[in-house]
Amino acid sequence: MVRSMPHLDVSGAAIHGNSEDRDPAILLPNQSDNISHLALDIGGSLIKLVYFSRQDNLVDADKTLLGVSNDSSISSCPITGGMLHFVKFESWKIDDCLQFIQSKQLLRRSDSLSEIQNNAGNVLIKATGGGAYAYADLFKDKFGVCLDKEDEMDCLVAGANFLLKAIRYEVFTHIEGQKEFVQIDPKEDLFPYLLVNIGSGVSIIKVNGDGSYERVSGTHLGGGTYCGQGMAMTGCESFDELIELSQQGDNTPIDLLVGDIYGGGDYSKIGLSASTIASSFGKIMPGKKKLKDCRPEDISLSLLRMISYNIGQIAYLNACRYGIKRIYFGGFFIRGNAYTMNTISFAIRYWSKGAAEAMFLRHEGFLGALGAFLSCEKQIPVGAPQSISNAKGGGFKKAYHLKFKRFCTKISSVMQRSRS
Amino acid sequence: MDTTSIPPKLKEEIKVEDEKGKDREKDIIAPTTSTMIHRSSSRPQLDLSGAAIQGNFEERDPAILLPNQSDDIFHLALDIGGSLIKLIYFSRHEDHLVDDKRKKTLKERLGLSNGSRRSYPILGGRLHFVKFETRKINECLDFIHSKQLHRGGIDPRGWSSEAPNNDNAVIKATGGGAYRFTDLFKERLGVSLDKEDEMDCLVAGANFLLKAIRHEAFTHMEGQKEFVQIDQNDLFPYLLVNIGSGVSMIKVDGDGSFERVSGTNVGGGTYWGLGKLLTKCKSFDELLELSQRGDNKVIDMLVGDIYGGMDYSKIGLSASTIASSFGKTISENKELEDYSPEDISLSLLRMISYNIGQIAYLNALRFGLKRIFFGGFFIRGHAYTMDTISFAVHFWSQGAAKAMFLRHEGFLGALGAFMSYEKHGLDDLMAHQLVERFPMGAPYVGGTIHGPPLAGLSEKISWMEKFVQKGTEILAPVPMAAPRTTGLGGFESPSSKGNTLRSDDAALNVGVLHLVPTLDVFPLLADSRTYEPNTIDLSDHSELEYWFTVLSEHLPDLVDKAVASEGGTDDAKRRGDAFARAFSAHLARLMEEPAAYGKLGLANLLELREECLREFQFVDAYRSIKQRENEASLAVLSDLLTELDGMNEESRLLALIEGVLAANIFDWGSRACVELYHKGTIIEIYRMSRKKMQRPWQVDDYDLFKERMLGSGDKKPRPHKRALLFVDNSGADIVLGMLPLARELLRRGTEVVLVANSLPALNDVTAMELPEIVAEAAKHCDILRKAAEAGGLLVDAMTNIQDLSKDSLSSTPLMVVENGCGSPCIDFRQVSSELAAAAKDADLIILEGMGRALHTNFNERFKCDTLKLAMVKNQRLAEKLIKGKIYDSVCRYEAAAG
Repeated sequence: MVRSMPHLDVSGAAIHGNSEDRDPAILLPNQSDNISHLALDIGGSLIKLVYFSRQDNLVDADKTLLGVSNDSSISSCPITGGMLHFVKFESWKIDDCLQFIQSKQLLRRSDSLSEIQNNAGNVLIKATGGGAYAYADLFKDKFGVCLDKEDEMDCLVAGANFLLKAIRYEVFTHIEGQKEFVQIDPKEDLFPYLLVNIGSGVSIIKVNGDGSYERVSGTHLGGGTYCGQGMAMTGCESFDELIELSQQGDNTPIDLLVGDIYGGGDYSKIGLSASTIASSFGKIMPGKKKLKDCRPEDISLSLLRMISYNIGQIAYLNACRYGIKRIYFGGFFIRGNAYTMNTISFAIRYWSKGAAEAMFLRHEGFLGALGAFLSCEKQIPVGAPQSISNAKGGGFKKAYHLKFKRFCTKISSVMQRSRS
Repeated sequence: MDTTSIPPKLKEEIKVEDEKGKDREKDIIAPTTSTMIHRSSSRPQLDLSGAAIQGNFEERDPAILLPNQSDDIFHLALDIGGSLIKLIYFSRHEDHLVDDKRKKTLKERLGLSNGSRRSYPILGGRLHFVKFETRKINECLDFIHSKQLHRGGIDPRGWSSEAPNNDNAVIKATGGGAYRFTDLFKERLGVSLDKEDEMDCLVAGANFLLKAIRHEAFTHMEGQKEFVQIDQNDLFPYLLVNIGSGVSMIKVDGDGSFERVSGTNVGGGTYWGLGKLLTKCKSFDELLELSQRGDNKVIDMLVGDIYGGMDYSKIGLSASTIASSFGKTISENKELEDYSPEDISLSLLRMISYNIGQIAYLNALRFGLKRIFFGGFFIRGHAYTMDTISFAVHFWSQGAAKAMFLRHEGFLGALGAFMSYEKHGLDDLMAHQLVERFPMGAPYVGGTIHGPPLAGLSEKISWMEKFVQKGTEILAPVPMAAPRTTGLGGFESPSSKGNTLRSDDAALNVGVLHLVPTLDVFPLLADSRTYEPNTIDLSDHSELEYWFTVLSEHLPDLVDKAVASEGGTDDAKRRGDAFARAFSAHLARLMEEPAAYGKLGLANLLELREECLREFQFVDAYRSIKQRENEASLAVLSDLLTELDGMNEESRLLALIEGVLAANIFDWGSRACVELYHKGTIIEIYRMSRKKMQRPWQVDDYDLFKERMLGSGDKKPRPHKRALLFVDNSGADIVLGMLPLARELLRRGTEVVLVANSLPALNDVTAMELPEIVAEAAKHCDILRKAAEAGGLLVDAMTNIQDLSKDSLSSTPLMVVENGCGSPCIDFRQVSSELAAAAKDADLIILEGMGRALHTNFNERFKCDTLKLAMVKNQRLAEKLIKGKIYDSVCRYEAAAG
């Protein structure tokens, strides 16, 4: 069956907003068609939503629904045309997500040509993550929407490849609190790389090129572990609250350090400094310490270190195994938290003896959703002329080019500001 | 040991009273200048100048040492960990020296001398492994004190109190507690702890175990243990993963050469710490115990949870794979109290074990290491933990790598500390010189934590009696946790969870290691690396059950014989009961956990029974029966010899082999035969058996053997130079079966070495008894007499002393050597050094009887011609092994391999 396809043009995509924003919106200056404007990544603990909008039409009331902090990027969009928005919800609050979709009228734009319809006339939405299977019925019942399932790994990799290739100021290192952007030359030093996606669990993927990758490893100690154990022990109600707590924590009353074992001295013979953690939570066991004797802040920090450090180590060992130098960390566990990134970075540097560096992505949590969003282009290559054209003609493209020029100047000035 | 080779040495015989008030003679080597001589030798060793008297067969009895024990040698080492103290001590034990004429002649004949094989003597002894809980450190101190381990053992005459140097005594110790308890040891025992580096000790301990103990390493998959034979020459490099509070991963390249390459902070301490915070458990064991009843799917987010019950097959993740440990506790609005501690504990255990397995595998991969050994207190023989780790390694390596565990894993550190003594003399101890034995308490205490030591036999018996009252509940089959199929969730669910309720290392016992420096590998084995003595595989549970029944049913009869052999006194009865209980307990333990004592074969089971008898001081249960049968057989020997001499060579050879097979019917270990005895006299049975000898036998290579012996046509083959005859039972078997065959070989100019047990086992003839039997037989036969004289078995007073050496050495000798065992079977990896020496010139081996030719060695090949002769006195074995029936005969001949 030949379908009329909308066209996604990601050329010239760039981050909207300044370098400190998290999950910033992405401008698609060359986007001419009205495209499939919604894709979902329904994970174990979070639902990630990427949608495209022509203009900023958010009202303040909607913002309260957005779990996290991308207000600024969405609120002030100076350029009409194309913009990708990134929103997330906790999975168990799926109703909020549905409500959001409804209130934004993401499925019901009368002028839209973008919804790809299946034979039965149902609207299809690109979706990935395990929840795309688990919640398929719910979407169908509530909206009459079919979730068009995309493979999770495909999406992750596609999302990451897109970000690494197309978006400047996406990648950064984070060492002892210092963030530093890294410029990647897509031709020279992109592939192969290791993508460590830390969601509830962790997937470690070796990416060799576009669409060419292998899930080489993973670990079950991930964000879900941190959140699950942390909430159980501290009474926190959310991941963010838990992270917040950790900021004021001190892990020394909880963790057994090398110094604790060797009477404050280093065990230098094997290269362990006194402050190295010998055993996470190891100080609990000999004492009579109970849960109520421990500060929730300390517990949260100790857990965070345990998990971040472990992920860093396993990632490094896998990088080692395949002789890969670049390791990118993504997924919702990191949440731009400086301490988490520091710990992961430390683990990588420690085990690699400084030879490798952890790198992070600003859109860390949305790789899968972004990949799903981009997957509607699988049928028609990005930027390629359409064989069956619809109402929109070439004239529009020219107009966009002009717009893009304007846009680029604006962006570069933003960047200069952030550099200084 | 040949005392004459160590000059100049004062030999002194003293008598020591044992518990039974019986005099026992032991050779004591008193202090002399020999100390100096030893020092000058190129390698470290134990000082021989204070040879030990070992208290009988009592495993836990202290070694009795003379005070001249050199002060810089200690036999105790400690590993004081956070929860357990591991103690290793060495008690010396010399086999008493029989320096009789037989041995002397043998040495001349075989060119056997201690000096030629080893430039210094290794001391025989026993290595004991004991554990205490660290919080009960006083028990440990009492134990050391009561055995005077810190002073090198108990001195029966109270001399050691006069020895002044003990104040400066130093004990090697490792582990964190070595620092913590320094003062306590000084105060209570007056000894200093010499701290050894933990990692050095771990590696040294692991290297020792992997090299010296044959079945030390095992894999553990889905509850199944499988012992792995590690080739000593292909041991290094390996990865040693020690899971304590934290985890160290050590790449070991050789002795003393290692590197800590990795580790993780998520270890046993994390399990305990998090477990304590999340479940309020008070101890590690409690937490582990809880995990046995847990169900992690309530806690962990599984792949199936995310994918609506489906596998994510594209990347090889099944629905039950854990996607995120504790990931499920986020989404529901539940409090900590809403989750069961059991589930939390299990989930934690899996989180940590799996993670360790994964990191270990990645490191092994990184350094290209084939073997990964896991140890440390976190494992503690806990089946589920081992399964989880094994699963992780299996999962990530896609089956290419296997996690291995060590039977003595808890003792790595302590062993290493022990090895750090410069003069332990164990550096190059070989696997064949170690015999592991499991004392009577093993099935009860699991070798775990000892209370106060048992002082003597009578205490031991009463302990046994006391225990039996409570023992039934302990011996009763341990209830298994109800199997849950889904609850295990996870990575294809390791299924051994409910294996045993005892979470500590109850699953595996650690016995006493007997160091027998005189043991050797039999040099004529075709391939000693692949040699496996046991023919029957007892890992087949129905097989084990069968032998369990056979041995259990035979037990009352054995106890009767044993008690009678000791005069049927009340004391003997009490000991008999205690023996029966102890042996039954061993059997029950092994039924429950066949791998408890290491790799289990039928030979081990049969030897265990003999050891158990000896432990309760039944020196020779069949003594009087053996004597009676020997006498009856010797009475008809001359008739038999006359009859044989009347035949031509060809029919004589057949008659001889038939005779061996027929006479092999006498076996008190066989139930069927014991019943036969009630029906007739030994000679009647022999004649009946003889008559039934119809060729072809079920296994019949007689023609091959005959051709080798007599040749075909005019060609006369060269006779064998020396034949080793492994004899079986007393009575008709040796007298009417093997001796006439030996005589025929002698007549053909072949030297004959009769190889017999060192210690009694059932009615098997022993090397000690043989000279007397031969001497008696020699009365009827000149060939035997000359040969026996030549072999130093008897002295003919009629012969002039001067003539003797000339004459006897010129004629073909008949010799007797002991095989080094006290079992009805034989393991050729561990035989006496005199047998090994005798084997050097041998070109024919004759293995006789079920134990040595069928139960063991049936399928094994040798470098020389081998004849295996036996009558099968067990229906099941007959069916299984030779597709025959009871009383079928086996005559298997194999020409020299290669």
